[in-house]
Amino acid sequence: MINSSNGMMSTSSSSATAQSPALKTYFKTPEGRYKLHYEKTHPSGLLHYAHGKTATQVTLAHLKDKPAPSTPTAQPSSFSASSGVRSAAARLLGASNGSRALSFVGGNGGSKSTSGNGRVGSLGSSSSSNSMATTNFDGKGTYLVFNVGDAIFISDLNSQDKDPIKSIHFSNSNPVCHSFDHDARDGHDLLIGLNSGDVYSVSLRQQLQDVGKKLVGAQHYNKDGSVNNSRCTSISWVPGGDGAFVVAHTDGNLYVYEKSKDGAGDSSFPVVKDPMHFSVAHARYSKSNPVARWHICQGSINSIAFSTDGAYLATVGRDGYLRVFDYSKEHLICGGKSYYGALLCCAWSMDGKYILTGGEDDLVQVWSMEDRKVVAWGEGHNSWVSGVAFDSYWSSPNSEGTGETVMYRFGSVGQDTQLLLWDLEMDEIVVPLRRPPGGSPKYSTGSQSSHWDNASTVATLQPAPSMRDVPKISPLVTHRVHTEPLSGVIFTQDSVLTVCREGHIKIWMRPGVAESQSTNNTETVLSSSLKEKPLFSSRVGSSSYKQ
Amino acid sequence: MGAAGSKLEKALGDQFPEGERYFGLENFGNTCYCNSVLQALYFCVPFREQLLEYYANNKNIGDAEENLLTCLADLFTQISSQKKKTGVIAPKRFVQRLKKQNELFRSYMHQDAHEFLNFLLNELVDILEKEGQAAKSDPETSSPSEKTANGPKNALANGHHKDPLVTWVHKNFQGILTNETRCLRCETVTARDETFFDLSLDIEQNSSITSCLKNFSSTETLNAEDKFFCDKCCSLQEAQKRMKIKKPPHILVIHLKRFKYIEQLGRYKKLSYRVVFPLELKLSNTVEDADSEYSLFAVVVHVGSGPNHGHYVCLVKSHNHWLFFDDENVEMIDESFVQTFFGSAQEYSTNTDHGYILFYESLGTSNKS
Repeated sequence: MINSSNGMMSTSSSSATAQSPALKTYFKTPEGRYKLHYEKTHPSGLLHYAHGKTATQVTLAHLKDKPAPSTPTAQPSSFSASSGVRSAAARLLGASNGSRALSFVGGNGGSKSTSGNGRVGSLGSSSSSNSMATTNFDGKGTYLVFNVGDAIFISDLNSQDKDPIKSIHFSNSNPVCHSFDHDARDGHDLLIGLNSGDVYSVSLRQQLQDVGKKLVGAQHYNKDGSVNNSRCTSISWVPGGDGAFVVAHTDGNLYVYEKSKDGAGDSSFPVVKDPMHFSVAHARYSKSNPVARWHICQGSINSIAFSTDGAYLATVGRDGYLRVFDYSKEHLICGGKSYYGALLCCAWSMDGKYILTGGEDDLVQVWSMEDRKVVAWGEGHNSWVSGVAFDSYWSSPNSEGTGETVMYRFGSVGQDTQLLLWDLEMDEIVVPLRRPPGGSPKYSTGSQSSHWDNASTVATLQPAPSMRDVPKISPLVTHRVHTEPLSGVIFTQDSVLTVCREGHIKIWMRPGVAESQSTNNTETVLSSSLKEKPLFSSRVGSSSYKQ
Repeated sequence: MGAAGSKLEKALGDQFPEGERYFGLENFGNTCYCNSVLQALYFCVPFREQLLEYYANNKNIGDAEENLLTCLADLFTQISSQKKKTGVIAPKRFVQRLKKQNELFRSYMHQDAHEFLNFLLNELVDILEKEGQAAKSDPETSSPSEKTANGPKNALANGHHKDPLVTWVHKNFQGILTNETRCLRCETVTARDETFFDLSLDIEQNSSITSCLKNFSSTETLNAEDKFFCDKCCSLQEAQKRMKIKKPPHILVIHLKRFKYIEQLGRYKKLSYRVVFPLELKLSNTVEDADSEYSLFAVVVHVGSGPNHGHYVCLVKSHNHWLFFDDENVEMIDESFVQTFFGSAQEYSTNTDHGYILFYESLGTSNKS
């Protein structure tokens, strides 16, 4: 018995507890260095006991010039140009959807040459005038909405100010998830889901204009958990859904709401008959809100994500299954199980061909919609994978030449405090590297012939693949970015954002971007912010942003 | 304590599992190390059932000699045959016997739960093996493959130690590791098998059990002072060594090495590292059969900031409900509560309740081999 002697104690040499070797402020990729540009966090006075239970999630929100109901942005041409980019970071832990891309490509029609200016231009009005006590806000810009403890914080992405410009406190329960709709027709564009199951929709602009610390002008749904009192886990506007949104809960249910209706109508749903299986129940009265309940699985739904066009909805949960639904038909199309353990996060590629998932098996999983199976496993995290996203702004260096190989760049973050970047070159992994004899992928019997649009109610859910049947990929970059477990990653045109569970956000500038924009100030910002000084609030070099 | 019991009964309502008993164990002064492990073993259903079966078969053989096995069997029988569904039991005889048997556990000092588990399992095996030998009235003459009272013998591949008896304790907990050493000069691979009742894993900050298991099986190079004597080269050579799991056990017990000797301090220190453990697990560092799945059913938790004091509690999954056993007290908890015992991402934290011994049961049907 090897454990009998001194199995209990690990005798080791002096290497005591090298708890946190200093974090580097840059990481290298084949295309160059990503540099830590600045950080965002919450006021440090926040009590820590509130942490732990709720992990911080971040939503990127872009406010346009004015609350213009019919701006040219809605033109078909510019919309389609941007919609490809939109799924971009199509989500951050399921929080936001369709909220990103326009923020950077915005009014400029998405052309790369102008984007730099567009970005900086949007800063002018917002960076210097904002403070915790914002008054007469009518600006535009890109904001980070994030939850910590019992509060929602809003930071200006383009200002170097570490502190948020606005905080909203909730007295009844902790906010845990949020979503922003960048092309909301009328006022309400921000959704907030609470630990208690309650949901609010508000206007972000209105919050920024208000000086108080409470939510203003909010519409309240599922009041006091009247429809469902289990925790919200993930919330999302339906892309192109005209104000429809969905909320996922820990009890395996997902509700569809419409913001045009108030939340007062009677909306009781029949008891779920078979908790093992997917079922949809519609509200009996036309005034009801929520309008439908989708029972998805046993145990928690941990994250949801819509495909860019809103046609498909992906969910991942405690049972380890990824499920993909045809949203308008309310049908389960396909899905499969993790290697083991729960899945925690999911994200679509901009073209809707791939879904990334991450979970408790430490693997980043690439699901192909075409093949309806896992086509690659990313091995590299030393703990659970808590956030995944495709980098839609990245174009592969050889894409102009052959046009044959499709390359995707994606990122993942984990509870190991690391950010990993991956390249996925599809023709490399189409054929599994080590396929055992007769080891072709096993489909469970059933509606195997079901096509995309012909999905029967009992769609095929694939069992966990065997270790040797799935090709493995290795990360391009492994970088320890925080001292705390991470909870999310977002790609923007200029940067990669990482966030940890405790509410610290880091913004890593893409190669070339940082140098051209704030060469002279980067050093000072980094040196002071890295010490995580709570007092760092002087506006270092905000002027340099104005070109 | 009846009140606490009824609270649990109320919480479970008509979902209270048929025939199941949830009893707290009285603490006789720092015996929480023992109580927490006993609860984990009690809710290790195959182990419990076989122990009860053993007790039923053997109790008539006169009130022979009391030993740890009979004391444990007695305790488990006592719990399972209670009229009430919940309550408190005093494991008095068992603890007395334990203290008699091993002076280590005699003091009122804080004891290590893993050391106790290890001692107990080895003790049970010894007792069963002795009984097995005695039953074979004619020892040493029979062929090794002959059946014994406790099942077929299963000779190890390289049995240079005497063919040990495979008892039902072995069948539940024993796995086989293979230690492969490859000489870098002649490329010869030397494999040596070792049996284990649990895996003791080194841990790292912000890692997962999956990652710790990977490190356990990672390749290590033997060089410089630490060369390997290659039988073929007949000399010390540089070599590569790795541990693989040759036969995964039915009950996988994982011990996190949270108590580490720090040379500069000249003492042990508790590592409060955050090590996440999934509710389902697969062993990918096996020689074969990598895809059999395990499910977490018990966690022994060490509460406290140092190695020499503190408290032990036990989380148990029984009939799809999670229960929290803290000596006399038993409470129902939500599955998500298990996550609060992962550890802390920062060194100095108020959270001192850390998962210490994890019990996983194989969902496969490989119990029978």
